[in-house]
Amino acid sequence: MHIPDGFIPLWQCLIYWIIAIIFLIMAFRWGRKNLNEKNIPLMAVLAAGIFAIMTINIPIPFGSSGHMVGAAMVAIIFMSPWAAVMIIALVLIVEGLVFGDGGITTMGANLINMGVCGGFVGYYTWKALYKPYKGSDGVVAGSGILSKWWSIGVASWLAIFLSAILAALELGWAGTFPLGLGLLFMGGYHAMIGIFEAIITVIVISSLEKIRPDLLSWNKLKRAEADNPNSDNPEVPSK
Amino acid sequence: MNRKNRNLLIGGVIVALILGVLSPFIASTNPDGLESSAEHLNPNAMQNPGYWHAPFENYKIPFLGNSPLAGIVALVIGILLALGLAYILTEILKRRGNTEN
Repeated sequence: MHIPDGFIPLWQCLIYWIIAIIFLIMAFRWGRKNLNEKNIPLMAVLAAGIFAIMTINIPIPFGSSGHMVGAAMVAIIFMSPWAAVMIIALVLIVEGLVFGDGGITTMGANLINMGVCGGFVGYYTWKALYKPYKGSDGVVAGSGILSKWWSIGVASWLAIFLSAILAALELGWAGTFPLGLGLLFMGGYHAMIGIFEAIITVIVISSLEKIRPDLLSWNKLKRAEADNPNSDNPEVPSK
Repeated sequence: MNRKNRNLLIGGVIVALILGVLSPFIASTNPDGLESSAEHLNPNAMQNPGYWHAPFENYKIPFLGNSPLAGIVALVIGILLALGLAYILTEILKRRGNTEN
């Protein structure tokens, strides 16, 4: 889904860059408040893992392929879309500058699509479908429309799908793709790629829950959540 | 860094490196979703305007030719770069956060 140089006029790239930088500054602000000895190694490992897994394209029907992005996964693990913005930005910088994967002029648009849209859609979809809370016995449980794993799967699928839709809108505005067909092709391909994203996201988060449940932010919810399991704003301790 | 976090870091990097080593062998060479869309809708858009020449274009080390090793070395460099950059950035942000507090 990395938009290369030349797909978007430079003046539009500039607009996307400005928006992306604003989100990046907000992500850094989140980082200053929430990063600590415990979650820094996880952030670093996720950046390395996402870079690696982004290089593994899986074949999909109609002669195409796709790879995982991981923004929803990071946002759900940290219960913050800002974590996804930060990690995807780092990965995009390495991919674009060192490996020529994704353009330099289009890096702002790519961060908006994969990091911002992926992270925010992934996190808020998951939150809308499933609400973790800590019961009075101290055990973390959840309530919602879907189970924990289905909600994570659906959220990560939608994150990829809507990221692709946003990219198609940008390319439609740029005049690179006709809008209707662009939406159809990008949406169609990424609806298939999203299934792969959903499966890997569920596998990674469920593995992390088995190995290091203390690293998942929903396991660090304050006890106060027990009284209000439907709260929209579960507080995650920052330190 | 405590033992649990060190183990997470080492384990995570090993998994990432395994993925990196396997990638040149298992990754599909089919165009991705965006490239496939461009092939159908606007093939001319695929011409690179050449604003930037990445040192390891297409995830290959140029002087190692087209061998799988060229891809593996490139990916290992990329994994370590992503890891290092993320570690440095998050550590700086954490320290700045501590200073503010």
